[in-house]
Amino acid sequence: MQTGLLLAPALLVLATVFVIPLARLFALAFTDPAGTMVPFETLLGSPVYRQVAFNTLVVAGSVTAICAVLAWPVAYVLSRLKGVWFIVALYGVLFPFWISVLVRTFAWMLLLERNGPLNKLLMGSGLTDSPISLLFNNTGVMIGMVHVLLPYMILPLYSAMSRIDRRLLLASDGLGAGLLDTFRRVYFPLCLPGIAGGATFVFLLSLGFFITPALLGGANAITLSMLIANFVNERLAWSLAAAGSIALLAIVLLIMGLTAKLLPLDKGMFAK
Amino acid sequence: MSKLPIWLRMISNAAASLVLGFLVLPILAVVPASFNKASFIALPPRNYSGVWYERFFEDVEWQTSLYNSLQVAVIATAIAVVLGTLAAIGLRRLSGRWRASITALFLAPMIVPVVVTAVALYRSALDVGLSGTIFGMSLGHMILALPFVVINVGIALRGVDDNWLKAASGLGGGSWTVFRTITLPNIVPGIVGGAIFSFITSFDEVVVAVFLAGYSNKTLPVKIWESIRLEFTPVIAVAATMMIVLAIVLFAVAQFASRSQGNSAR
Repeated sequence: MQTGLLLAPALLVLATVFVIPLARLFALAFTDPAGTMVPFETLLGSPVYRQVAFNTLVVAGSVTAICAVLAWPVAYVLSRLKGVWFIVALYGVLFPFWISVLVRTFAWMLLLERNGPLNKLLMGSGLTDSPISLLFNNTGVMIGMVHVLLPYMILPLYSAMSRIDRRLLLASDGLGAGLLDTFRRVYFPLCLPGIAGGATFVFLLSLGFFITPALLGGANAITLSMLIANFVNERLAWSLAAAGSIALLAIVLLIMGLTAKLLPLDKGMFAK
Repeated sequence: MSKLPIWLRMISNAAASLVLGFLVLPILAVVPASFNKASFIALPPRNYSGVWYERFFEDVEWQTSLYNSLQVAVIATAIAVVLGTLAAIGLRRLSGRWRASITALFLAPMIVPVVVTAVALYRSALDVGLSGTIFGMSLGHMILALPFVVINVGIALRGVDDNWLKAASGLGGGSWTVFRTITLPNIVPGIVGGAIFSFITSFDEVVVAVFLAGYSNKTLPVKIWESIRLEFTPVIAVAATMMIVLAIVLFAVAQFASRSQGNSAR
């Protein structure tokens, strides 16, 4: 009885301010005057919208892959470091979490500009003769998103690596396995849960990303979430926005369902 | 593996340093950009000055947006902390399937893409007249912050032994007395941590705020968002620097709070 009283206020507010607004939005997709399923047919039938959905998946997939590669050395070094250097490296990973995504994206706008520092560096080192366009395309979007999402890959991988019993590696060594064999047959398989968990986080968060693609990609690299915002802001096409929202959420839930075992939702991962 | 050859160790150290540099250094790029003298953004600036800081602190619109952000964050945090703390205590008394599904419900705002939440809230806010209001934005941010409070207080509650509660009520304490004298003192660090997370979540939030702000009640991130698209002057870098400074202060407070949590657990 008392338990109910403790939970009731939060559940009531969550229902009014979250569940009901979502339900009301989703209902708009099915109550279009043109016909019940018309918004979905419009979305699926248009090559432009299919291209947007495809681009969203490509960007999310690439960002996940790049994060998986970049996370390795940091996670490994974190799992080996002790004392002050460990704290320094850990704060390096956690510090970006505290900075607004908007501020970080703005910083990349300054760095990736046509006459910005990165292009100057590339030209100064002789890698290119003329400035390359890093902004307002998928390149810029991916750089910005990798920067924001990399910690979500590093932390689960680090946690998997630090749980590995070093004696297993010694045993493998003692039994005559080479470095590469030990890595391939002992170390890597033990890291896999961390990689899989991190990849799921990064991929799911990439799918719903809005600020970074909107500012670094612009009209040349539209993602699903930008399309949804565009339906509402520019075209007042609420039924299309609703159908797009349902599609985006459905993809997210589908992937979560498939990887449910890898996501330690209840272990406070998010609390970091 | 436990003794990697020296060259491999050097390579992994170098790679890790590069990636850590990639994580931290770009954020700091906005600081020199904010001290530009010219009226356009350049990195590095040719001439340094504090002229854009003066502009930021004299401009009514920027000041109002900063004030709005603080107001929204305080309201959102206050509601989220009260509701989330009660809910976390309630969740602990549940078990099995009920606990798992209600926890999932509380975490849902983290899982639903924020654009979807923002569009949904915008639609309903329009219908009930909360669009363009401070309170509307506060409610939206409160929903996004609620999971942080539930998680943080939930973790702190693991440090409260059920036997303490039984002992306290066995000694004649009513449920309020037991809560006030046993539970609350032990979960204060979790509540503080949840509050800090809530505050920073609200203060940094752009997407829900962009949809709900309207013309007159822009928050600081909304003002930054619009300025990036309209004017792109160094005053944006000043605003961004302000947000970094605030984040560092809150980070320090959170570290302090979590340290005292570690001490009280012992």
